[in-house]
Amino acid sequence: MSELAFERFKVKDREEWLMRIGRPHAPAILFVPPLFEEMNRTRALIVAAMRLAAKKGHCAWLLDLAGTGESERGLAGVAWDDWRHDVTAAAAHIAEKAKKPLIASLRGGTLFDDAAKARGWWRFAPVDGAAVTRDMVRSGLAGGVEWAGYAPSEGLKGALEAAAPVQVAPLRIVRLATDRAEADIKLEGPALWRRSEPGSSVELAEAIAADLSKWSRQCAGS
Amino acid sequence: MATAPDDADEVENTLRAVLADVLGLDPARVAAFDEATPLFGALPEFDSMAVAGLLTELEERLGILIEDHEVDADMMETFGALLTFARAKALR
Repeated sequence: MSELAFERFKVKDREEWLMRIGRPHAPAILFVPPLFEEMNRTRALIVAAMRLAAKKGHCAWLLDLAGTGESERGLAGVAWDDWRHDVTAAAAHIAEKAKKPLIASLRGGTLFDDAAKARGWWRFAPVDGAAVTRDMVRSGLAGGVEWAGYAPSEGLKGALEAAAPVQVAPLRIVRLATDRAEADIKLEGPALWRRSEPGSSVELAEAIAADLSKWSRQCAGS
Repeated sequence: MATAPDDADEVENTLRAVLADVLGLDPARVAAFDEATPLFGALPEFDSMAVAGLLTELEERLGILIEDHEVDADMMETFGALLTFARAKALR
């Protein structure tokens, strides 16, 4: 059984939360979740991958972005740059206990992971902000509730629409085997972020943990 | 976003993968779909929320943009109709 704990971390004048699975001083992997509905749909997958990474000797961390999860702020008051600050501050919090983390960002989480001090980056199915925006607008039309009930500020919406993943190094791009776009490795498994019901995949969680562990070792020297 | 696919088979494979992913169907079942297989209105998994996900995922994987006015029940009625639409968008 791996330890699961929550830790507070400071971001400027506020505090947010990190979930931790594994021994706190073990080589760290910081997970940055996808945005909006995709965050819920992939939660079980991320936590399954975190448990498996902990078994492989890592400490897996997952942050709650401002205005999501355990955050005390409302989404409406969150600016786009807050999320970049969150990732940077979470990585700094982890670096105080162990070495700099490897950042494992998923989908929309790849759009603001670049400013953190990290050993390396591992991006899963990265996506442009414009595609996230189109999906939210469409989901709103289909469900009859604008933006599927999420109410970010106009400023955040505008920044999201214009956002694309920023080049970092060392970087490993990971995609599903069924995705035609270029990647360093392709993993077998379902696109859980598209399902209307949240689910998980043991196969995909194991593939993610194995590839993260491998990439973490490769980045260890940098 | 993906670069444009080269041929009709590639579009078909991508469409089958997206249908399996978005609707949560067994890939073996989707592999057996033919031109006449009914989709929208026939599969309980294919509801309006799934339509939104399907369109966005097709855009991402085929490197295309789909306008709202291009979307109606007819183009999603059968696998063949959806494939014709996807090929027309991706291969022009």
